[in-house]
Amino acid sequence: MSRARRRSAQPPRDRSVLAGFLSVLGELLITVGLVLGLFVAYSLWWTNVLADRQASARGDEIRRQWQQPSPGGAAQQPAGPGALDTRGGIGFLHVPAMENGEVLVKPGTSPDVLNEGVAGYYTEPVKAALPWEAKGNFTLAAHRDGHGAKFHDIDKVKDGDALVFETRDTWYVYKVFAELRQTSKYDVDVINPVPKESGRTAPGRYITLTTCTPVYTSKYRYVVWGELVRTEKVDARRTPPAELRR
Amino acid sequence: MYGWIWRHLPGNAWVRALISLAMVLAVVFVLFQYVFPWAEPLLPFNDVTVDEGSGAAP
Repeated sequence: MSRARRRSAQPPRDRSVLAGFLSVLGELLITVGLVLGLFVAYSLWWTNVLADRQASARGDEIRRQWQQPSPGGAAQQPAGPGALDTRGGIGFLHVPAMENGEVLVKPGTSPDVLNEGVAGYYTEPVKAALPWEAKGNFTLAAHRDGHGAKFHDIDKVKDGDALVFETRDTWYVYKVFAELRQTSKYDVDVINPVPKESGRTAPGRYITLTTCTPVYTSKYRYVVWGELVRTEKVDARRTPPAELRR
Repeated sequence: MYGWIWRHLPGNAWVRALISLAMVLAVVFVLFQYVFPWAEPLLPFNDVTVDEGSGAAP
């Protein structure tokens, strides 16, 4: 009895140091766990909130610019050298199969660009051809998760689905003809002007979507190819083409 | 560690709880605003492009 009381009143010094160390260690481990949990919330939720806000503000700005008469020739294709400020975005991609509305498209595929919740067209390693060019491949990349996750549902896109690109005065309607569900991240041939592995061998007007796969990782790349089937002039009320009116 | 902080906060239990909450929110803010944006590009979760593997492009 007296021994027990003495021990509880005055525990041996080395044991109390060990207990204190273990309790701090335990608290640190719990803290690390909470921080990692917060990081997941940041990656999968907060970056989407920020990117969607930024992209929709930017998209509204583009649409406002489109409503104003352009300085040189209203019906000009936006291909004239120096005529268009492409940095703000060149148009909107609509993919009905992904059910995510419109995706603003900007030049470049650096993280700075893609993190704004947009799709970027490749400027390197293989430069994309823009939709109004006579031949080539309009190659795009966007995030699968986080930062807007604009290509999250890319696996829902199947052969025959429509991909519609909207510019100031033209709707470019593409049809998907091939998917590559998994490829190496070094497989740059998929964004060639005539994309390798898509099955096509002749030059044409192609569109390529790339993003990472499987979801939540960046181990491989997912690729979807389409080709232009027709273009439609944008009318005064911006009536969308039949593919978007479902 | 947390016990030590709690013991060194002023005021009664309610005041301490309020200060603790403010401190937690401040930490979460710093993490979301500065630490996570810095850490994210260093982690291999969000590279979406194909590239030559030089490490220059994402």
